[in-house]
Parts: sequence; C-alpha cells; structure tokens
Amino acid sequence: MLIVDQVSKNFAAYQALEDVSFEMRSGDIVGLLGKNGAGKTTLMRILTSYISASSGKVIIDGDDMSKHSVNIRRKIGYLPEKPPLYADMTVQYYLKFAAEIKDVPKQKRRSQLTKVIQECDLEQVKHKTIGTLSKGYKQRVGIAQAIIHEPKLLILDEPTSGLDPMQIQQVLALIKNQQDQRTVLLSTHTLTEIEQVAKRVILLKTGQIVFDKPLDELLNLSNSNQVQPLTLEQVFINHHQQPPRESQALESR
Amino acid sequence: MSKIVALIKKELHGYFSSPIAYIILILMLSLFNVFFFLVIDQNREVSLRDVFQLMEFMLVFFIPLLTMRLFSEEKANGTMEFLQTAPLTQSMIVLGKYFSMLIFYSLLIALTLTYYFIVEYFGDPDPLGMLFGYLGIWLEGAFFIAVGLLASSWTSNQIIAAMVSYLILFLLYFATSFTQYLSGSAEQFLLQMSTHTHLENFAIGIITPSDVVYYLSGIVCCLALTRLSIDNRLWH
Repeated sequence: MLIVDQVSKNFAAYQALEDVSFEMRSGDIVGLLGKNGAGKTTLMRILTSYISASSGKVIIDGDDMSKHSVNIRRKIGYLPEKPPLYADMTVQYYLKFAAEIKDVPKQKRRSQLTKVIQECDLEQVKHKTIGTLSKGYKQRVGIAQAIIHEPKLLILDEPTSGLDPMQIQQVLALIKNQQDQRTVLLSTHTLTEIEQVAKRVILLKTGQIVFDKPLDELLNLSNSNQVQPLTLEQVFINHHQQPPRESQALESR
Repeated sequence: MSKIVALIKKELHGYFSSPIAYIILILMLSLFNVFFFLVIDQNREVSLRDVFQLMEFMLVFFIPLLTMRLFSEEKANGTMEFLQTAPLTQSMIVLGKYFSMLIFYSLLIALTLTYYFIVEYFGDPDPLGMLFGYLGIWLEGAFFIAVGLLASSWTSNQIIAAMVSYLILFLLYFATSFTQYLSGSAEQFLLQMSTHTHLENFAIGIITPSDVVYYLSGIVCCLALTRLSIDNRLWH
C-alpha cells in the first residue's frame, strides 16, 4: 500500500529526515512516535505531497509520488495537527465542499455525506457553524473531511492533541473503526493511545527511524531482561536516552 | 472545471458570510456615486471619462482591502494545507480564488452601469465609447486583483499583504509622475508601465491592442507568479 524508500529531507542546512524507509500493507494501523522535532510532521507532509522529499521515493498504491502527486492525493485522507477548518462554514457545507474538491462522484456525494456525518457522530451539529463547535467536534469534522472520499490511506497528525479524556476515547474509537476499511498512519505524543489502536510502531529520532516493530514484539523484546513488564512509555524514554545509531544497534540484537 | 467552480462558490460564500464584503461594496458604491454626481455636475458633459479615472484612483485603495485575505487567511488558519493536499492542482486553487474575486468586482462594476442610463436620460451619449470605458475599468480592476492575489500569496499576514499590494499599485499608478525626471526610453518605459496611461484611451472610448495586451499580460504574469509562489514543493 505504502512504500517509503530512503526518503531524506533537508531544510537548508538542517536535515529533518535521513534515509527513512518503511512499508505499510493494506489494513495496517501504524503509530508514528517521536519527540517534537523528530521529523514526524515533515514525513507526513511528504506522504501527502504537501512538500517534496529532497531524495528518495514514495509509492502509494502503485503510484510514484514524484510523477502522480494529484492522483495520489485522491487516495489519501489527511488530518494535519491543526484541523484545517473554515470557521464561517457550517459542518454540512464544509463537508460538501470537501467532497467536491476530493472528486467524490456527484451521485455519491449525498450518501457519502450522510455516511461520514453518521460515522463521526456529527448529526447534532451538522447545521452549526464550525467556529462555534467544541474542540472535540472540530477534530471529528477534521476526521470526517479526511475520510469523505474513502481514501485508501489515512494520515493523522496528532489527532487527539488538546482533547479531554472523553473526546480522546471517541476519536480513538473512530480511528479504530477505520481498520477494516483503510490503512492508517497516526502520530501522537500520548503513548497509551498508540497502544490502544496501533499494531505496529515506528519511532523517529532526529530524522531517522530507530525502530519499526509490531507493538507486541517491541514490548516483549524490551521486556526480556527486565523484571517488571515495560510500557511503551518506558521503551520510548529508553530509546531517547541513546544516540540514534546505538539505539538501532540495540534493536538489531 | 467543476473543482474550480466549487472553489469559487466557497470563496463567494466566505465573502458574503462576513460583513466586510457588504461594507466594502456599499462604501465603494457610495463613493463612486458621490464622485459621479460631482463630476457630472461640474463638467455638464454626456461622458463618463472623468468618472472612470476617478474610479481607477479609488480602486488603487480598495482592491488591496479585498484581496489581502485571499491566500494570507488560508495560510494563517492552516487551511492552505487542506487545499494543497486535496486532489487539486495549484492552478485550480489560483484560478478559483481569482475568478471569485473577479465575480465580486464585476458585480460592483455592474452596479455602476446605472450611470450610463442616468447620462442617457439627460443627453445623447456614445454607447460604444461608454462600453469601452467600462471594459477598461473592468480590465484595470482585473489586473489589480491579480496583483493583490500575488501579494497575498507571499505572506500569512493580511496587513503585510495589503501593504505590498499598495506599494505595487502605487508604483504602477503613479509611474507617470516620475517621467518629468527622465527622458528617452526610460521615460517611455515608465509611461508604458503606468496603468493611468492605458486607462486613458479606454476612458475616451478608444481600444488599442497595446492597452488590451498590457492588462491581459499583466494578469497572466501575476497569476503565473502566484501559482509558483504557492507551490510548496518548489520552495520547501
């Protein structure tokens, strides 16, 4: 579904990503972890063709990003860290607009709109202006626009940031429901959330992948010489206390 | 094409859902009306030549207020990322924004067509000459909008976008003022660059290919530069 092959990104002298390579199969839900500045958002922006990679290749559903970026964008649903919403529009108008520009066929638009409104539990607020909604609802509207065209790959950049615990659970349930329909890549700082939804974890550190493992395997591996079971949080901290090369070496052992 | 129409509808919805569009529309029309009556009262001519030239002067001040938010607001709100990760080309985004503002501006100009009927009621104006005058002022506004759109694509700050538009439009409008200090080809260059020079012919009812080419090439050039300016894949 997704092939990222030796992708690097430089912003002038600063290297944001260095030789990042991984693959995702259909139906995967992968958690992208890393501290602030690790390169998560840069990687997601490259995968959505918002910015281009300095080198390397991205292939999504058989299409090369460098040659077919508009076609690829039809297959991607993206929720940036700050939901891209128009405060003066009603929820329904905004989603209708999203459906139009994302090539949802005219005869399917109405049914698709009803479907995402139901799926994201927006029925109560569909006639309300987006600017008046709570943060949780805004996030759900953001997810609704990302899935309205039934993308094969859903990319979510910190979808739960700034939400209260109740809203976080609602958003996570929504993400989990996507599993049967599409491939999901999500980044978050809250590791317990990754444990709830993802089956695989990729950890980025200073622009490099320091591990890429199924969640179970990762916790077992890290747990093998410990008395107490490790949490993902402890694994995360342990990896960030080592330089990238050392942590990759530890991982390969 | 349907995606450009969707973008145009979205932009027009944005203008008319806030009071700013109505305020600017009413303010501009009120000023145009005041100047129309002053000019007609003073000149006692069945011609709108001086009215068009006053309209041009006012457009220099008003159009940056209309265009400053076009891209700046999208950048500041993070919605530019939404548009640029949707299956839209950069050209579609630029044209959607440009045509929406052009429709808004055309509405404003259409509302001033009443001047022709007022003049016709009292005299016998040359309809073709007036039509050319309207075409000139419409082309001038279309060019100013393209300049404003370009300035708006450079920054996420609406005030800066407006200031940059003012700077460019003032230079274009007042270019003839500097000709007294120059001579030869430099003087000719400034005269040809000035919007004032090109509107003058339209205002007196004359269409010349060079005036039409000036406006159209200015519009195309600004739109092409805007398209390049918003392409993140080129700059980041």
